[in-house]
Amino acid sequence: MMTAVMEERPSAMARAAAGDADGFALLIEPLLDPAYRLAAVMLSDRTAAEDAVQEASIKAWRKLHQLRGDESSLRPWFLSIVANECRMARRRHWWSVLKMADVQLPAGADPTTEVESDLHRALRRLSPEERLPLVLHFYLDLPLDEVARTLGLSPSAAKSRIYRAARRLRSDLTPEEVF
Amino acid sequence: MSRESFRRDLNRAFEAMSGPPSPALSARVRSALGERAPARPGPFWIAGLAAALIAAIVIGVFVVSNFNRHLTSGVPGTLPSASPTATPTTVQKTPEYLPAFVCGSSAPINSQNAPTVAYVDSVRTGTHTGYDRITIEFQNGQPGSVELRPQSSSTFTNSPRGDTVTLAGSAGLLVVIHSADEHTAYSGATDFNTNYPVLLEARQMEDFEGTVQWGLGLSKSACYRAFFLANPTRLVIDIQVR
Repeated sequence: MMTAVMEERPSAMARAAAGDADGFALLIEPLLDPAYRLAAVMLSDRTAAEDAVQEASIKAWRKLHQLRGDESSLRPWFLSIVANECRMARRRHWWSVLKMADVQLPAGADPTTEVESDLHRALRRLSPEERLPLVLHFYLDLPLDEVARTLGLSPSAAKSRIYRAARRLRSDLTPEEVF
Repeated sequence: MSRESFRRDLNRAFEAMSGPPSPALSARVRSALGERAPARPGPFWIAGLAAALIAAIVIGVFVVSNFNRHLTSGVPGTLPSASPTATPTTVQKTPEYLPAFVCGSSAPINSQNAPTVAYVDSVRTGTHTGYDRITIEFQNGQPGSVELRPQSSSTFTNSPRGDTVTLAGSAGLLVVIHSADEHTAYSGATDFNTNYPVLLEARQMEDFEGTVQWGLGLSKSACYRAFFLANPTRLVIDIQVR
């Protein structure tokens, strides 16, 4: 199974590099879900998030020749384009700065749980730039080096960014509780 | 609080904020990629550029020399037919010539062999050099007729509710599609905040009793053209960027 996947991806990469839209679509298909989740959290708007992912996909294809590194570079590279697209979308919709996320508790969650409510409130108060490292590391489960590459930082700076944002959620958090 | 419980609570909150993407996202991205092919950079880009320029000049001369012979109408939706006396063809496999932009009201685009109801299965937007585009794709053929109504404001009437909706921009273009349905085969977005140079927003205004309407919010009054393409059947509306 793994062999099949490994053989398929370089093929898609080669097709995409040759200008084949289907090849590129195949390449980024597995990344659309995390890209959307990243955009949705940054923009607090699901429709705008899908627009941002669509625009980012087109930009990624146009910039494919700029992709450096091996296969592992694709995800952080694409997510960094998505994050940039979100920043641009926010600049275009300056009024959306005032828009708050429509946070809904997942099915089965107890809405009276004070800890959960506090966390939601604290999360809403964070700026999109502060949410970004948290989304990458905790929600998308990216390892530190990929978070760093997505943010264009060193791993230690990325770790520091994550910890700082986490402390904005809970001021008493220790590094051991975060990493 | 343990690391696991912090991570779990955070994930719950993020999940509530984002939810899953719509099932149509993948198809939408694939479609957009198909419409907006990137320029191919490479070591021979200068030679390629020169070849493209020469080709463009040759094609331009060819188009200009044949323009009067082939283009019989600038009315949106009527791609030029070979014979000036024939009924205008509204669906072609490959558009040899696009209709000219028009700047006021235009005649409806009618289809003689339309299905009873044409099902919309995809809507997408894009921006290109010289124009912004919205494409409405149909699953089973061309709808009965399409009207385009330019207006001097971006306020539209939501039908059948009757309330008014103001889109982004200061001008508008209402697209009315008769004998169409947008809720059976289409589950994608009904409001696109595009923010292209002219097309700022596209929003569904009606999908009721066989009539589908889209309101287009424009940054300013603009010329437009509309035509159908085949395989798959799709209505293409270009808003001129000047």
